[in-house]
Amino acid sequence: MLEVKNISKSFFRKEALNDISLKVNKGEIFGLLGPNGAGKTTLIRVVNRIVQQDSGSIRFDGELMTEVHLAQMGYLPEERGLYKNMTVEAHAVFLGRLRGLSKKGVQAKINYWFERFEINDWRKKRVEELSKGMAQKVQFVCTVLHEPKFLILDEPFSGFDPINVEMIKQELIEMRAAGKTIMLSTHNMKSVEEICDRAALIHNSKKIAEGTISELQSERKIGLYAVRFKGSMIAFVNALWTGFEVQDKEVLGDDRFVIRIKMRGNNSFEDLLKVLIGQVKIEAAWEVLPTMEDVFIDLVQPKILERHEE
Amino acid sequence: MKNSMLIAIREWKERMGSRSFVLFSVLGPLIILGLIYLMFAFGGKSKQHWNVLVADPTGIMGNKIMASEDRSISYAFADGYIEMEEFANAKKYQPYDALLEVNEKVLSNKMGFVFFREKPSVRMQTRVQYHFERRLEEVMINEFTSLSLSDFRKIKQPLSVYFRDVYDPNNQSSDLSGWVGFFYGTIIFTFIFLFGMTIMRSVSREKSNRIVEVLLASASPNQLMIGKIIGVGFSALAQFLIWIVMIGLGLYFMRENLFPDILNAANLNVYDLALQAGDHSYQETMFTSREYNQFVELIYNRVQFVNMTAFFILFFITGYIFYGALFAAVGATMGSESDGQQFILPLIFLLCFALYGGYYVLNYPDSPMADVLHYLPFTSPVVVMVKLAQGYYVQGHVYEIYLTLLLLIISAFAMLGIASRLYKNGILQFGHRVRLKHIFKWLQNPN
Repeated sequence: MLEVKNISKSFFRKEALNDISLKVNKGEIFGLLGPNGAGKTTLIRVVNRIVQQDSGSIRFDGELMTEVHLAQMGYLPEERGLYKNMTVEAHAVFLGRLRGLSKKGVQAKINYWFERFEINDWRKKRVEELSKGMAQKVQFVCTVLHEPKFLILDEPFSGFDPINVEMIKQELIEMRAAGKTIMLSTHNMKSVEEICDRAALIHNSKKIAEGTISELQSERKIGLYAVRFKGSMIAFVNALWTGFEVQDKEVLGDDRFVIRIKMRGNNSFEDLLKVLIGQVKIEAAWEVLPTMEDVFIDLVQPKILERHEE
Repeated sequence: MKNSMLIAIREWKERMGSRSFVLFSVLGPLIILGLIYLMFAFGGKSKQHWNVLVADPTGIMGNKIMASEDRSISYAFADGYIEMEEFANAKKYQPYDALLEVNEKVLSNKMGFVFFREKPSVRMQTRVQYHFERRLEEVMINEFTSLSLSDFRKIKQPLSVYFRDVYDPNNQSSDLSGWVGFFYGTIIFTFIFLFGMTIMRSVSREKSNRIVEVLLASASPNQLMIGKIIGVGFSALAQFLIWIVMIGLGLYFMRENLFPDILNAANLNVYDLALQAGDHSYQETMFTSREYNQFVELIYNRVQFVNMTAFFILFFITGYIFYGALFAAVGATMGSESDGQQFILPLIFLLCFALYGGYYVLNYPDSPMADVLHYLPFTSPVVVMVKLAQGYYVQGHVYEIYLTLLLLIISAFAMLGIASRLYKNGILQFGHRVRLKHIFKWLQNPN
């Protein structure tokens, strides 16, 4: 759907993007991750044609991206605003029309989306009368009003209460199911794990990782496994021999435990299960993958340390 | 273009709905009408007596001028030519405050000169001009036509009376028409600045509330800037039309109710005048109304109104685009809305400079400096109005007005180009301190 190739951009002497390439596939939710100041917003602005890249190209739906494609895109910036003295409806009409909707079309879309997001009662309210959360909701609706093929959301969950965060997430999942493509920039790693299919990580204006969420997690796994069982902790420890190392334990009550174990030597997950069977009642066993937060820290932290050492 | 129009319509609606727009639409014309009323109702209360010598070598006036009842001006007539220097220095002419020169061509070239010792008040100038013009009308009707006075007035050419200092005749003093031009120029600049400031505030507000990034995802910075200039411009034009209508209605109301119109043929009743001649208060009313009518006539008939309105609109629009782009660029380069404070002083300085330019040309229309101010896009809208009203362009300088207009259009486009670069580069910079270094870099950067 979107192919970013060798994009570089500098502001005077400050490099904001250095030879960044990435690919967002049709019908996926793509996470754009990175610490503050990494260059995410600049990349998003380049994709939205707000900022012109110094070099590199962008292809949208197979074609070299031009102004024409903007009507098929929706963009919710991180620092978003509304005209305070306009009514919610007038605002939606204005932004919808700017995105290419006809006069009639925009009204139909407003009716649909206002109903869907339960903001019909606010139609005639002026933006300055809305709370921050309400305004955020209006901004989201204005972004998706023209039902774009490709949606770019910069920190879409900030400012929302948990119920609305869930609502937005469900909406994004439904959009994906309907074939829309979504690019998401967020610091909320839990959301990335929950809804993103693939992600790229940008740090110091360079892309340092890209892949599916499970690929990113797998690349950083450290051979940690977890077993949940019912029975005696002593029996469990006795069953293990020197080939395994207990990392930590979690007591669940009613003689149930979760133990995290690291393999030693060439021992495998199967070997672990073999020694445990018959000793305790295994309820579940799984490979512990790092969370996206771990992946993020793991990728970014060493680079920060390296820079400090330099 | 569609995006620019959508942005323009939004701007227009916002301006039209704002309280300040409504307030300015009502208060502006009321203040101007109030000033006009005060000027003509009470402007003549301070008395000053003038002795005017009419030099009429060919006897056109017939030793007569229609002012026998005027207590503030006494006319005397001289048959021969009087050299200006002679009038200035000869002892026998010292009792006279001014010399009204009626040359033999006055009936064809419609020009008269008044040489004064001390600059007369506007009111006094109006009186002399009024008396002179009315007398000439009588002469012309008697000599050339069989028309009635009222019919003749419909077809007559306006008379230009130039007031010059007898001790400094080359420094041509402003005539009333020039002031009308200055008034027009001032209106242009008042509107340009008020609405220019509106553009600047609007841009910086969009920056500070971050809506600009949402807009930029759908429209280019150029479309955004042009839409804003157009939208605010149309609201300025709308406000201007409201002003015109309100002032026009106000003048009409004043003419109908506050000042009886003796220029109107229906009201011109010699018998009545004679009957009322002894009544001073009535005379005073008549006079104010005469002056008032002279003012109305000045605005509606004497000044080349069609020409002037056409050029007024042209210079209003191009001047507005020139300054509008400048203000948009300033708004876009500002780091925060409060940055506007530091720009107000230089902008007010620019306003004063433009208005002073107009005033300077009003007083020294032929000076080399006036030529510079005439072509300078910062001052040309007001200077052209002054010169246009002074009748400068009919004296073989017609091409100059087009040249000035062309220069202003080119400057407006150049300013749009410069503003566009600043706008593109500055619009997404938030919370910074404006530095000249940045502005130069933005200007060099086309992206």
